[in-house]
Amino acid sequence: MLFSKDRIGGVLLLLFCVTYGLLSQNIRLLPFQENVAFHARTMPEVLAVLGIGLSLIVILFSGAGARPELRGYQWLRCALFLALMSGYGLTIRPLGFILSTSLFLMIGFALLGERRPLTLVLVAVPLVVAFWVLMSQGLDVFIEPLPGFLKAEG
Amino acid sequence: MLEGIFIGLSTALTVGNLSFVLMGCLVGTFIGMLPGLGPMSAIALMIPIAASLDPSAGIILMAAVYYGAIFGGSTSSILINAPGVASTVATSFDGFPMAKQGKAGKALAIAAYSSFSGGVIAALFLLIAAPFLAGVSLAFQSTDYFALMVLGLVAVAAFAGKGDMAKGLLMTVVGLMLSTVGTDQTQGVPRFTLGMIDLIDGISFLLLVMATFALSEALMAILKPKDDAERLKEKEASENLGSMAIGKHEVKEMAPVIGRSSILGFLIGVLPGAGATIASFLAYGTEQRLAGPKKGAEFGKGSVRGLSAPETANNAAATGSFVPLLTLGIPGSGTTAIMLGALIGYGIQPGPRLYIDQPEVFWSVIVSMWIGNIVLLILNLPLIPYIARVLAIPSRFLLPLILFFSLIGVYFVSFNTFDIQLMVIFAVAAVVLRFLDFPMAPMILGFILGGMMEENLRRALLINNDSWSFLWERPLTLSILLIAAVCLVLPFATAQIKRLKDTVYGRTREGD
Repeated sequence: MLFSKDRIGGVLLLLFCVTYGLLSQNIRLLPFQENVAFHARTMPEVLAVLGIGLSLIVILFSGAGARPELRGYQWLRCALFLALMSGYGLTIRPLGFILSTSLFLMIGFALLGERRPLTLVLVAVPLVVAFWVLMSQGLDVFIEPLPGFLKAEG
Repeated sequence: MLEGIFIGLSTALTVGNLSFVLMGCLVGTFIGMLPGLGPMSAIALMIPIAASLDPSAGIILMAAVYYGAIFGGSTSSILINAPGVASTVATSFDGFPMAKQGKAGKALAIAAYSSFSGGVIAALFLLIAAPFLAGVSLAFQSTDYFALMVLGLVAVAAFAGKGDMAKGLLMTVVGLMLSTVGTDQTQGVPRFTLGMIDLIDGISFLLLVMATFALSEALMAILKPKDDAERLKEKEASENLGSMAIGKHEVKEMAPVIGRSSILGFLIGVLPGAGATIASFLAYGTEQRLAGPKKGAEFGKGSVRGLSAPETANNAAATGSFVPLLTLGIPGSGTTAIMLGALIGYGIQPGPRLYIDQPEVFWSVIVSMWIGNIVLLILNLPLIPYIARVLAIPSRFLLPLILFFSLIGVYFVSFNTFDIQLMVIFAVAAVVLRFLDFPMAPMILGFILGGMMEENLRRALLINNDSWSFLWERPLTLSILLIAAVCLVLPFATAQIKRLKDTVYGRTREGD
């Protein structure tokens, strides 16, 4: 099969290995290092060659592998979760731990089908507050709980 | 050795460490029971907590989580026929039919007693084998370590490649590539940092493990949610367990199986790469053959032997996999690779010197295995009816929580939001590769061993005046590399022989 799972994966990893190999040439070497048997570029170069070789083996000798079945998967939902995680990374500092995490969990629960607003709040907020107390009081790991503007007012 | 056991006992039997064993077993069982999340994810989720503890307590906690997760995986295998990990697939062959016959409690008890016996017997073997091997490996040099790492990587790739060794090897190389990101250890040159200051220290091991295991497993569950019938099955299974008592007849049947499977499991676990999955299947197959035609026919229909054998063997193999980790510093499996990463995070280099330099870590790990197994038996077994309720927690609450714990676990270590974005990128890559059936464990092993491998190779070349001749001139190095070559060639050779046999058999049949 032309577009088998193995072949697609092989092509993706071949691209990765080629990029890695090209980037390995950007590693700076000091003049005296160029003639030694092992320098900072040796391992990456060997790995790039190995990676490209193995990717080609996977692509060329993958046999009649299964074709990827895209139907039946919740791709949009998965993409939304990825965006949610990325958004969480962007908001955890400006919004503070409690607000950003509560929002992250509530949106997450809602994306997976929980529609009752009260349940969303009652599951997420106490859990986040309890976790913050456990980390900051129990394990001495402090993280800013509230957004900067609330702290300034307080 | 006795002195060592006392050191281990005095370290492991403190109130603090005992509570970590207790917590680890419970949390491990809880996480391991969730279909899709295995011991690797369970340990990865524990690393941020373990990092705030002293090395002995941290390793004890992670070892307890490991056992708990294997036990939890068996529980979901038996109750809902959904093995959390590959090593408990064989458990479901007879465990699930027993549960369907209304004997779920009995099946769980057999699994627990077998796991306990396998773990305890294997820990005894570990106690004897580890100091001996550690003594032998003191004679190892950089060249031998380099060769051993090659062997470990090849062996794991061979077994984890789901029948396709090239894919396993390719993923190993990808892991090795990722390990080269950051400042070069010896020459101080930045490599593959793309001009980003956040990558100067390289990619965090915890970040990679969390993204490629915990995050990607949760995302895979979001991608393909369970249907209502499946959810109902899980709810029902968690509520009706039946009696947990086992009779004299069953004990009599289990005893010899446990003895044989413990030895088999331990020996296979010691081999790099083989691990608990192969041990459980081999033990199952061996017992089926030994059972004779009458008892053998019961396998797959709820046989006591068929359940006891893989459960004993997978726990024994899990213990056995600590031998190469503790004595050579080379992980034999993906799980022990994560543990190695955690040990390195503590500034501890596992290997022959660990036995001499930090005996309290070495012995407390071994002693905690016994304690962990006892805790699993006396605490988790009676609590199973309650812990099993976790299967009834709706995934709409569980999955965002797993994502949160994974993200925050990494963030709490670095306090760098760049790490969260990097995790998302790695999680996307891991989901795509998982979807395409590419194994993740070899990549993690490659990533963890990459730095050490490069360092040992560099040192070996320095000692040998930049000559590569050490690869064939030093007998020990050569022997290990030859074994690696055999591991590399064997799967191809057996596949060719099988193909040849099939062709000949086909022709003979055509001739008939």
